[in-house]
Amino acid sequence: MIADDMACNPRNPRPATVFNNANQHINVYGDDVEVDYRGYEVTVENFVRLLTGRLPPGTPRSKQLLTDEGSNVLVYLTGHGGDGFLKFQDSEEITSQEMADALEQMWQKQRYHETFFMIDTCQAASMYERFYSPNILAVGSSLVGEDSLSHHVDPAIGVYIIDRYTYYALDFLENVDPQSNKSMGEFLQVCPKSVCISTVGVRRDLFRRNPDHVPITDFLVQ
Amino acid sequence: MQFLTCATYLIFYVNSVLTYNSDTFTEELLIKPLYSEQIYAHFQFTTKWDVDPNTETFNHSRIFPRALGEIVKRYNVQELHVSLTGGLWRYDSWGYPVTDAAPGAEVWAWFKTDTKDVNKNWKLLANSLSGLLCASLNFVDTSNSVSPEFSFKPTGVTDSPNVNSSYLSSGVSGLASLLNSGYIHNTRYHSVALHLRPVCRDETCQSLSLELQQSVSLVYDYLILGTKNWSLRKLFGQGVTRNCILASRSEIYVDTTTSSTHSFELSPPPDDVVTSIRGGHVSTFGKYNVPNYFLHISAKYEESQKLAVVSPPSLYASQYLTGYGQERGGIVTKLYNNHWDNLNVVVLQNIPWYVPIYLHTLKVTTDGVNNEPITLRYIPGIQRERPYYLEILLKLPPKSATAVSIDFDYVFLKWQEYPPDANHGFYIGSAIISSHLTLARNYTGLPQDGSTITDSFNASRSGYLVQVRTENMVITLPTPDFSMPYNVICLACTVVALAFGPLHNITTRRLVLKPKNNEKLLFRLKRKLTEFLKK
Repeated sequence: MIADDMACNPRNPRPATVFNNANQHINVYGDDVEVDYRGYEVTVENFVRLLTGRLPPGTPRSKQLLTDEGSNVLVYLTGHGGDGFLKFQDSEEITSQEMADALEQMWQKQRYHETFFMIDTCQAASMYERFYSPNILAVGSSLVGEDSLSHHVDPAIGVYIIDRYTYYALDFLENVDPQSNKSMGEFLQVCPKSVCISTVGVRRDLFRRNPDHVPITDFLVQ
Repeated sequence: MQFLTCATYLIFYVNSVLTYNSDTFTEELLIKPLYSEQIYAHFQFTTKWDVDPNTETFNHSRIFPRALGEIVKRYNVQELHVSLTGGLWRYDSWGYPVTDAAPGAEVWAWFKTDTKDVNKNWKLLANSLSGLLCASLNFVDTSNSVSPEFSFKPTGVTDSPNVNSSYLSSGVSGLASLLNSGYIHNTRYHSVALHLRPVCRDETCQSLSLELQQSVSLVYDYLILGTKNWSLRKLFGQGVTRNCILASRSEIYVDTTTSSTHSFELSPPPDDVVTSIRGGHVSTFGKYNVPNYFLHISAKYEESQKLAVVSPPSLYASQYLTGYGQERGGIVTKLYNNHWDNLNVVVLQNIPWYVPIYLHTLKVTTDGVNNEPITLRYIPGIQRERPYYLEILLKLPPKSATAVSIDFDYVFLKWQEYPPDANHGFYIGSAIISSHLTLARNYTGLPQDGSTITDSFNASRSGYLVQVRTENMVITLPTPDFSMPYNVICLACTVVALAFGPLHNITTRRLVLKPKNNEKLLFRLKRKLTEFLKK
């Protein structure tokens, strides 16, 4: 789901690319990117419908989350947020309670086995505090009361291009391949306060396994 | 004694009686320097499959994409045309493209006659295509689609300002290896299109075949390229690695017609030179057969200060908004006939329901003189259900400019109907102008009976169908201040809190006069004591 078409925007000085770094290290908008929900389709309603599987008839398969009780689901959210909400577009927001209820509905409908929930926003921890469904491992870029900060500015386009947590998470994940034996525990150590400035929050109590013994390839693999 | 056991394996050859219907795939690239400061590259990938489209199940296919076949079968589609375009084709300076496409997205389809509910199938087809092409085609439904009578049969037109490039993947062999997303978005105009139709299998037309044309049109600007001397690497990032193994023909054509005025040298020299005489217009093409090894073509222009005279094509058009303020506006479609003879044209307009037009304000003037339409079709729109459909058949006098104008009202939408970026504005799709030209000047379009660029060589016909699409328009509907309710709530709460407290206090308290008691404590005790003693 991408609300803004930055890559193909005619004002993008480097067409069809989005980089993680002003020095253009990693093009995060490679040729294999597939955007299923774009522009005006990115709404809270569509997001919750996608998670819970309550989609209108005629929705193509590529726009469905075809998961079952054996699937590990990764949810990554980023954007502007605050205590208990994350903004969608410029007009609406999803609350932490809505997010928790959507995941509970997924659990009851057997749509996941384990979920890894990542969120990079201000006061990110507030978004997962209300979760009450089992088998969820959640990580947020900042605790309640903290701001999540961006990494650096790209003077060529005049905007801050990447958030600190995402930058270091991407840095870590670039070295992960399908044969990797890194664990989720290691991934949760990413971006310590000295570089992130905000404190990365982790919620482990809903997750039944010890993250140090969970291979990262259970959730993040290319 | 040990016996050697000889096992005889009977191998049953399953004689497959599956006679495979022949299918062919051709890939072509046309590179044409335009008169002005641009260069046009058109990729044409054509698949022709000798099956009966009415009975084919699409369970087995070789070259034909099965994903598309399934959709076509499921929704009973006879003919399907999809185009996704960024940028605007400048007819007046670029001539006509090989396949015309409106800015934004356009879908039109013909359904088979036995289709029960066309509207339902139309909506589901758009949904499926949105999944297949990663474009927001699911916004296509009956509220923004029309069924024109003359221009084409069922067509739906939707306008999305952006084309999503996420389905463009590179790394394939053949000419498609030239399609690299970074170089596609580096252009003035880019358009991807898909045209599926049943065609005659041969001249006798006893049986049908299915034809799929997939095309990519790109217009590069010399200013963006930084030089006029183009090469495959400059345009596409790399040369052709090799021809596509599945393709029966793999060819590159370079239009050298302009070489007479702006001479350029191709290296390596073309394998063949094709001269095409079409409708009295002579063009020459350098032809390259893509080999099974690397091919790189470059062109070097001679130093010259010659300026080419841009001769606009016979018919072109533009569209703009008139009026001011937030109450009334108008749409004007200007049609230019550069031909020496009359031209009959059909103007199709699909105007969204939130732009209510008034038919009585329709004015058609040619150079200031009233021009009565030959035929007019109009179906008024219904709010939230149906767009305004207007189709006008006009006769354009020779060498003239005709203006078709119609007025509309700006309307308020419901609060929830505004998109998140409401102040960006709302799109009105392009008008589509169709005509049959008698001259093929500036015309590179494929003939009706052809499907490849080769078919357009020496293809003189009695008329050449052109469809000109005008620019999109953005109108700003009266947009409410969305933070107003919040502000009102904040203000009202403050006022209530400030006013209600004291008012409530004043109105619910009972004010009772109490005599003032200034007696000292000692006197009071003394009084109480004397009162007690008196008893």
